[in-house]
Amino acid sequence: MLRDVQLKFSITLALPDKPGQLLRALEPIAKNGGNIVSIIHERDKPAEGYVPVSLVVDFLSHQSFKRTIEDLMNIGITIIRSEEVIERLRLMFILIGNVDVKRVIETRIEEMHVINIEAMRSRVGEVSVRLEVEVPIDKAEKIIWELKRAADEQGAILIPPIGV
Amino acid sequence: MRLAIIGFGFLGRNLLRVIWEKISFIRKFDRDFLVVGVANSRGYIYDRDGLNLENLMAFNDLLRYPGFRAGSAVDLIRGDLCDVIVEATPTNIRDGEPGLTHIKLALSRGIHVVTPNKGPLVLAFRELMYLAEKNDCDLLYEGTVAGAIPIFSLVKECLQGDKIIRLSGILNGTTNYILSRMFFEEIGFDIALKEAQEKGIAERDPSYDVDGIDAACKVVILANTLVGRDVKINDVERIGIRGITQEAISLAKKANYAIKLIGTIDKRLEVAPKLVPINHPLCVHGTLNAIHVETDLAREITLVGYGAGKETVSAMLNDIITILKKRTWRSSVINSAKLA
Repeated sequence: MLRDVQLKFSITLALPDKPGQLLRALEPIAKNGGNIVSIIHERDKPAEGYVPVSLVVDFLSHQSFKRTIEDLMNIGITIIRSEEVIERLRLMFILIGNVDVKRVIETRIEEMHVINIEAMRSRVGEVSVRLEVEVPIDKAEKIIWELKRAADEQGAILIPPIGV
Repeated sequence: MRLAIIGFGFLGRNLLRVIWEKISFIRKFDRDFLVVGVANSRGYIYDRDGLNLENLMAFNDLLRYPGFRAGSAVDLIRGDLCDVIVEATPTNIRDGEPGLTHIKLALSRGIHVVTPNKGPLVLAFRELMYLAEKNDCDLLYEGTVAGAIPIFSLVKECLQGDKIIRLSGILNGTTNYILSRMFFEEIGFDIALKEAQEKGIAERDPSYDVDGIDAACKVVILANTLVGRDVKINDVERIGIRGITQEAISLAKKANYAIKLIGTIDKRLEVAPKLVPINHPLCVHGTLNAIHVETDLAREITLVGYGAGKETVSAMLNDIITILKKRTWRSSVINSAKLA
């Protein structure tokens, strides 16, 4: 489930609305080992002779990405936006115990976003909580470990999804 | 080959019945195949010309069988009266006895061993493997993990070039039965456990199953056999199912998940309740077991089957036939070489 993490980047360029410009822009990407996942050529949105082109590219390292941006700028290509795309994983957990639901909701684990929470109290007063969270894929293992520690602190059982 | 069965309990008795029913088929692999001895905790019976299995089936108590000799299975093994033993005494994970003594003695005397008994393998895996190799014997134990599911045969024979990334599975039928009843009938753990005990699925002292000890034993045997680890039961992180509430199962069910007790072997060794999507191949119910194998080449393979009860005899008989094929083929090759 915790797949090999690939570094994915989103780059939006402003290319002159002239033939051959896209090919010119792709050269630095290929030279730096980038693998193009998608290209959206937004020809319906030209502005003052420029066409926005959005690319999603896989690179082996942040350095390759940085070098590509420098190379693009050196050949005079305008970069509107460039950033890393962080893939996120949705995970479901169940917590059982004398859990303070409010504390669970307020659990501040860095980069973990609580999407959904539902709780049920048993006749003996124990609370069962279903927690759905979203985490960056490359941080999942660390976040699950922190969640386990938080559950342990409350004397609760944490049931994680299979495969993580 | 001359076979002796050590342990005349549920599995020993069922194996004997199956051998009796399939004797002509078994003799296709070894025309000289005989069951020469059967032992229980009080002594044994032995006939060098082969026991009359039909007669033997009529005896519930071995002590009443004509010619019963008081003593122990050790006498039968030490007397070099057999070539293969089936060690089917009850599992004991504290000291592995009496199975550990029987298996060690047999292997050290060059006698092949087939066993569904987890105790000796959990406690002395490396030592037993070393003894088997040193004495050129087979030690086969397919029945120790997930009963009739041929997990060892599958991985050893059919995935020889694959690297195992992860093994995960439902390795205990009792806990799966309890969790399945909680899932479908919306009853609490205590009621589901009581029901399992009334049906004979759970023991009066259910700790061995519900606290995940049985599943942890299987994790140890799987890890030592299939991923080359050298681990003991204390190396397995273990959480049982006693704390699972009916409310937790309902919350999981609403989101299309079931809660299952899963044994996992990857970089960690673990037995713990996990959320399993209801469309996942491991999401099987009742007393069924299931094992999910993740490898580099085949990617994912799942086996589902019965993990305990008389179905285990399938694994035991397959192990016996494996030895007959391997050893009688070898002796026939040696004989023809001698003739030439």
